[in-house]
Amino acid sequence: MHTATIMSMMYPASKKPFSMVGWLDDFLVRSILAALMMVSIAAPMGCLMVWQRLTFLSDTLGHAAVLGVGIGLLLEINPLFGVLAVVILIVFSLSQVANFNNALSETALAIISHTGLAGGLILLGALPSNSVGLEAILFGDLLATTRADLLMILVTTLILLFVLIRHWRPFVALSVSREIAQAEGISVRKEQFLMYMMIALLVAVLMKMMGVLLIAAMLVIPTTSARLLSQNPEQMVLFSLAFGFLSLAGGITSSFQFDWQTGPSIVLSATIFLVITLLVTRQISLCTRRQSR
Amino acid sequence: MIPELLLRASEISYSNGGKKILDKVSFELYRGQVTTIIGPNGAGKSTLTSIVNGLIENYSGEIERLPSLKIGYLPQKVYVNTLMPLTVLRLMQLIQGVKDTEVDQALAQTSVAYLKYRQVQSLSEGELKRVLLARTTLGYPDLIVLDEPTAGVDVTGEIKMYELIGEFRNRLQCAVLLVSHDLHLVMSKTDQVLCLNQHLCCSGLPESVSKHPEYLALFADQSDNTLAVYAHRHDHVHDVSGKQETF
Repeated sequence: MHTATIMSMMYPASKKPFSMVGWLDDFLVRSILAALMMVSIAAPMGCLMVWQRLTFLSDTLGHAAVLGVGIGLLLEINPLFGVLAVVILIVFSLSQVANFNNALSETALAIISHTGLAGGLILLGALPSNSVGLEAILFGDLLATTRADLLMILVTTLILLFVLIRHWRPFVALSVSREIAQAEGISVRKEQFLMYMMIALLVAVLMKMMGVLLIAAMLVIPTTSARLLSQNPEQMVLFSLAFGFLSLAGGITSSFQFDWQTGPSIVLSATIFLVITLLVTRQISLCTRRQSR
Repeated sequence: MIPELLLRASEISYSNGGKKILDKVSFELYRGQVTTIIGPNGAGKSTLTSIVNGLIENYSGEIERLPSLKIGYLPQKVYVNTLMPLTVLRLMQLIQGVKDTEVDQALAQTSVAYLKYRQVQSLSEGELKRVLLARTTLGYPDLIVLDEPTAGVDVTGEIKMYELIGEFRNRLQCAVLLVSHDLHLVMSKTDQVLCLNQHLCCSGLPESVSKHPEYLALFADQSDNTLAVYAHRHDHVHDVSGKQETF
């Protein structure tokens, strides 16, 4: 039995405490803290990825990361390190191709994505069956956040936030226009590489909580709601944070209320907030148009 | 007085996918001068500006830049990202250290002050072009690179645009590198012309270029009647220094 299994089920569902005391229970506090950190980094990163049309990259890295989980388990190390190694290797090899943008063509990414997934599934199948739950890999397991996970998430979040704050202006500038940014002295190649590395790190951490299939949802859905309300890039990040926290609250509550899986519940609640925002903003714009007539 | 040398390109060649786009192009850019690149479609004009801007790196030859050379750039086509909310003001302030009053001044120059709080994606193509033209003057650039700024602008607008570019040059004491495939209007406001058709056909003062046989061959159909109207007028003493004729 692998002790450091990333997807380890620390608390079987049957023991899930649901009482007022349960809210103070250790694992729930840990999960909520992990989720809060996840949202606070997913909001700004998600915005940048949406602006630069990079969300599909997170999908690719997420799928290929299954291979990393397999390798990690095979080597009996923390699967997170296996995942990190695989996603960083992918980003690095993409950056070595002369034309970075062509390298990111949909076809290339689809091939990487599914090759990684296939390799990972075969590796996982070859391993003793009790070592990892496929379901946890695909959909994540927020409630199984361990102390070690929490530390890992904290460190990653701090690193990513630090780099984001320092590089925010060039990141935004190259989202607006790579050509203009480069002419104005921003090293687009370097900044882009840095961003891809950050995405790799983000995916590796989000995978534990949201699973490979739902990572992109956390990056895209709250930011899309935020887009509808914002006038400026920074506003969009703030609204994404707000929608992220709302989705968390809605998702975790409904997960407990109805005993749904946490990850999918969060995604679903994010979508509900998106639909509400869409309806409200449309109503408002219809009203203002009628008034101005 | 010889103006400050900002950039020297020596024997720049560039091929893409086996196709030769630029062949041993050399030129120099000086502070306070307007340089115009003219040439037919596919001559490599935009490629050359991309190399000057640092967008293309795998060229052969050498480019020496003034260290800390600041460039303001207006691309030929600007793709507007609708996924990103952005006001004109914020777009202008993406350049470091730009004050609100400077934004007002720049926008007023290209007569688009009223667009300050508009969303960038709601602008028309012409409006966006003017906003971006204004933006090139922010942050005290040493060099302004304009890739066909007059495309889609009518003739009166075009003349105004060239006057404006002259104003930028005078006010900011910067160099201007201008790409154009029409020549007559350009000539009157230019200090140096680079006539490009993969290789540098000829270069120098507008008058000398306009008499060059290669230039005449390239633009035979255009250059017969209108050129005389826009004879070059010098408004700077250093423009006539023989220095540039040695190109």
